[in-house]
Amino acid sequence: METDTTDQSKDDILICLPGERLCRVEDNVVLGEGTYEQGGYIYASKSGIVSIVESEEKYQMVSVNKPGFHLTIPATGDVVTARVLVTTPKFAKCAIFCVRNVLLESSYRGLLRKEDVRETEKDRVDIYKSFKPGDIILARVINQMEQSFMLSTAESELGVVIAYASDARKNRIPMVPIGWGEMQCPQTTIKEPRKVAKVLPESTIKSEP
Amino acid sequence: MAGRMELLSEQGLRLDGRRPHELRHIKCKLGVFEQPDGSAYMEQGNTKVLAAVYGPHQAKSKKAEGNDLVINCQYSQATFSTAERKNRPRGDRKSLEFKMYLQQALSAAIKSELYPRSQIDVYVEVLQADGANYAVSLNAATLALIDAGICLNEFVVACTASLSKSNIPLTDISHIEEVSGGPKLTIAALPTAEKIAFMEMSERFHIDHLETVIETAMAGCREIRDILERAVKEHLIHMGSAADWARVG
Repeated sequence: METDTTDQSKDDILICLPGERLCRVEDNVVLGEGTYEQGGYIYASKSGIVSIVESEEKYQMVSVNKPGFHLTIPATGDVVTARVLVTTPKFAKCAIFCVRNVLLESSYRGLLRKEDVRETEKDRVDIYKSFKPGDIILARVINQMEQSFMLSTAESELGVVIAYASDARKNRIPMVPIGWGEMQCPQTTIKEPRKVAKVLPESTIKSEP
Repeated sequence: MAGRMELLSEQGLRLDGRRPHELRHIKCKLGVFEQPDGSAYMEQGNTKVLAAVYGPHQAKSKKAEGNDLVINCQYSQATFSTAERKNRPRGDRKSLEFKMYLQQALSAAIKSELYPRSQIDVYVEVLQADGANYAVSLNAATLALIDAGICLNEFVVACTASLSKSNIPLTDISHIEEVSGGPKLTIAALPTAEKIAFMEMSERFHIDHLETVIETAMAGCREIRDILERAVKEHLIHMGSAADWARVG
């Protein structure tokens, strides 16, 4: 929940406990995080500070925030940042460590199938020509399976953002993208195939059509 | 039934000097450990319990089916918790039974629809056993879940009750009353909604008294809830003012 609650002054801090009745359900009241509705009333489901935020026109969001705690679970459609762990001919296993702009405390398992690497020419995709273990990728969550989250990079903005050349050396420098399908090491000028994400620096965004 | 000891004296006091409806002294503390996501220490009379909660995190066990939340509990008693040294701190029949009961009661309280395909680990360690081990363990687990910020319908608290020979119900029985042969009724309840999440009875007594004993245990639950609520509130005020009410959005 990206709501701004800083406007609340320190004096009227209201502490609530799980199961505590907060207010009646009304048309202009929206349930936020940490609350639930039962029998026409809104109850708190965890301990914390009650915050009532006036959002948009006449709507009030009631939510409960616990100081210094926030749980994020990747949802379908979220863009996540993940590290490639293992590649096989059919899929790549990843560890999701960032959802949208929230860094996670513990990583979630992600699975990127060969069919979901890019939009076009799906049958000619090779996983080992798209990703290497250790790459940092941007991907979109398309489904939740029992054991892991299904990921997709079938968008031009998704794919590898940080990658290192395969020859291991001490001072590793990330490779520079030279096209949508290749990256080059600036030190050794070795070129390697990758499914590169089109990450644009802010200065060039305006020149794009 | 006939041979059991009288639990109430002529003056109406119990073996440890309490009145029939009196709880033992409760002391609790939240956030006792740094590493788990939530932890609590609870003392009810001489029964002392530590609880730690990890999660919610992605379900690791293969037994996770479909979309459900896995609540993984462990109940263990320290080897020094009883008068005679306990050889198996966990994994014996009694511990496995308590573990199942904990899972049952906690699943009634946790809003599991918010945590699909997730797992919550609850570890309970009894440091000193002096009666009502299950009830105190559950109360400690509830506090640890609250400390971990896991969404609950409301507090789930447990209390025990017994019946004296003169048919007077007793609240929160101690170990000596347990072994003196009184029947023991354990209830885990959601006191505000007046719902019973779990109930267990160790011995038979006449059904006429069941209602009063249940009501005694429920009254004990409500009383314990009030004590726990006060403790949580105090803890929050303490933590919040230390962090200057910093909020993570």
